[in-house]
Amino acid sequence: MIDLAQPIINGLLLGGLYAVIALGLSTIFGIVRVVNLAHGDMVILGSYLSLAFCMWLGLNPLWTILLVAPIMFCVGFLIQSVLFNRVLGKGMEPPLLMAFGISIIVQNFLLLVFTSDARALKSDLSMMTISLGEINISLLYLLNFLIGLAVILGLRQFFRKTFLGRAIRAASDDVVAAKLVGANTSSIYAYAMGIAALTAAVAGVLVGMTFIFYPHTGPQYLIIAFGVVIIGGLGSIKGTLVGGFILAMAQLLGAHFFGPGYQLLCGYMVLLIVLAIRPNGIFGKA
Amino acid sequence: MGVLTAALGTVPLWGSDYLVLFFFLFCLYLTVAQMWNLLAGYSGLISLGQQVFLGIGGYSVAVMGNYYGLNVLLSILAGGFFSVLLALFMSLFIFRMKGVYFSIGTWIFAEILMIWFSNWSFVKYGTGLFIKTNPPLSTNETFYIAFVLGVGSVALVYFIMRSRLGLGLMAMRDNEDVSETMGVQVFRYKLYCFLIAAFITGMAAGVFYIFQVFVQPYKAFSIDWTVKLVFIVIIGGIGTIEGPIVGALILVFLSQVLADYFSVSLLILGAIAIAVILLAPKGIMGTLQAKLGFEILSPRRK
Amino acid sequence: MQRELALKVDNINVFYGEFHALWDVSLEVEPQQIISVIGTNGSGKSTLLNAIAGLLQPRGGDVELFGEKISGMQPHQTVVRGVSLVPEGRRVFGRLTVYENLIMGAYTPRARKRRSTVLRMVYDLFPRLHERRNQLASTMSGGEQQMLAIGRALMSEPKLLLCDEISLGLAPLIIKDIYKKLEEINRQGVAILLVEQDINRSLKACQYAHVMLEGKVVLSGNPASLTLEEVKRAYFGV
Repeated sequence: MIDLAQPIINGLLLGGLYAVIALGLSTIFGIVRVVNLAHGDMVILGSYLSLAFCMWLGLNPLWTILLVAPIMFCVGFLIQSVLFNRVLGKGMEPPLLMAFGISIIVQNFLLLVFTSDARALKSDLSMMTISLGEINISLLYLLNFLIGLAVILGLRQFFRKTFLGRAIRAASDDVVAAKLVGANTSSIYAYAMGIAALTAAVAGVLVGMTFIFYPHTGPQYLIIAFGVVIIGGLGSIKGTLVGGFILAMAQLLGAHFFGPGYQLLCGYMVLLIVLAIRPNGIFGKA
Repeated sequence: MGVLTAALGTVPLWGSDYLVLFFFLFCLYLTVAQMWNLLAGYSGLISLGQQVFLGIGGYSVAVMGNYYGLNVLLSILAGGFFSVLLALFMSLFIFRMKGVYFSIGTWIFAEILMIWFSNWSFVKYGTGLFIKTNPPLSTNETFYIAFVLGVGSVALVYFIMRSRLGLGLMAMRDNEDVSETMGVQVFRYKLYCFLIAAFITGMAAGVFYIFQVFVQPYKAFSIDWTVKLVFIVIIGGIGTIEGPIVGALILVFLSQVLADYFSVSLLILGAIAIAVILLAPKGIMGTLQAKLGFEILSPRRK
Repeated sequence: MQRELALKVDNINVFYGEFHALWDVSLEVEPQQIISVIGTNGSGKSTLLNAIAGLLQPRGGDVELFGEKISGMQPHQTVVRGVSLVPEGRRVFGRLTVYENLIMGAYTPRARKRRSTVLRMVYDLFPRLHERRNQLASTMSGGEQQMLAIGRALMSEPKLLLCDEISLGLAPLIIKDIYKKLEEINRQGVAILLVEQDINRSLKACQYAHVMLEGKVVLSGNPASLTLEEVKRAYFGV
């Protein structure tokens, strides 16, 4: 049993990180009804921005969150107001291709500036572990989990308690009624995307501290985000957290039983099974 | 049209090696993109996992040629055949999903195969396989196969759209309510399109990787393939037969012209894609058709 | 001297794509007035309200609010100028609480400043909303949701209240109650344009009525001068 405890604990901790990665994708789908295929690239853009600040200012990667998050908020706000808002209500394909276009641009911009070398956000944390009997808990994983949880709970409070958060929920409930009370829904959407990008930035810094990354790593995290929201249902914060746990757990248990090469495979298998049984996700509405 | 087709078919007779290469790529991209167009533009199936068939097609020619010494044309056909088998299997899962979920489901299948192939000793893991064909093909010969596929794919979509299947698809696309009441039939129509697209895409992939001489899981099953297809079809005009032709021409042209500046060329592709969606959401041919009010290859019966 | 009008709709035409939904519709609402528009389903009366609120853009004609042209504006611009629409089907924010729904009603910066005062007035008008303030809107009865929809519309302190089918699907007692509230709102100085299928109810409440049929105003007059026979004939188009 003790050897199973290790992957389960790691799965739980990693699940918190996965949930933050997926948070923005889920939020934007729930509010704007757009599947942002560039979400993974926004996460990686966050990683590279952090890398730039680390190199330039010599900061610890963790502190760069304070700089990267507001910058990414602006990036998201601009992307929505300049690009996505103009193709809403024209069917599913235009926003999809728009996201593809943004994705290509972000990836190749990063390639141009940072080359195709593998990168990592180095910090002292990456080597530290806490030992509980025979179980080792990576301090970095623990930190990911805690920060992830904080972001998720913070976002939940934001949606519940602030005027903007309420307005965003109102617009996602009934966009016509929101217009009728005087809300400018385009600007609400822009704020929502800004917030989604902000969560992507936090995810990006954490991802960069935990794994190596390349300019083309974005789609990999997009798929993880998809996995999480498929399991949890698009547009639900609670579902996102549960989805993160299940996906990460499936991956790490898979790696435990079949070897590390099968880690991703097991995650996808669980996804397909969930999709085949509940085509709209576990918490999704039919 | 006839003149242009004839000119394209005889490129090896009058054109330089460079032109042969150019139009070879054009024909293959056209084929695969036309199939994506059949799915996304006519059947409402936005697949983000077409690379799964490109990978299968590529590996089919490699395995059949290298390991079993199968004739090259048969190997290419085998690529189509295996793709159809896989598509059938996939349909058990993904045809239960709607809209975005379908798109993601197809993509996940592609990722699964990528991981599987890179962990499979039979196909030499992630290193990939060199492709030896039996008999070896000259550049011109591969070009002719690609040409047949390219022209064939356009003709195929043209005839599909004029057939009963096409009428059903049009009815589905024009009116959601009709499609609701046709339930089972809709499912069958969509499945046919998915299988047809898998078959042709698998074959085109075989030809492409024969030309590449090398197939490797991280490239063959990469989402980059679908990104290119989406680009071609949407720039050209989704749901038009001419769209993929124009789009493929633009893509091959841009990637050749900008070949020396790889990342810049993709940056420009991305920017063009965004500009087209903002300025002409129906793509180049879709917008032209709406403005001029005529279609060169009208699938609608007069 | 020219009398001041709260609302002047002057020959507007509205299309849905190719479909011509409103044909040269004109009407006027004076401040302090309640005006009724009566018509069957699909007669164009909701379209008229949506066009005034800015959800739809008329292709010809003008809409003026206290002399200012508001046709061509978006809803968030007309709300600022004092138009508030209680939409058909109520459209409360189901996953928000009653309180949150009302807060959303005070969306414009000016309304936000006066929020607590107006909120108290709305609670006074509809004590039920105060009782249920922490309940999710979707869990309330139809009548309560209708009160909420009206309360939410009042939160922006409108000068002109547009009411779309507020009695639809409600029990007669509740309808009576809601109409009493409307008259109270009107006494406090809000002009009201009322759209209904219920002929008797709206004729009783208003000072002037229009009957619409197939996108056109076919009969107008004050309720005293109109016979029920006349109105019914216009209403059904026979």
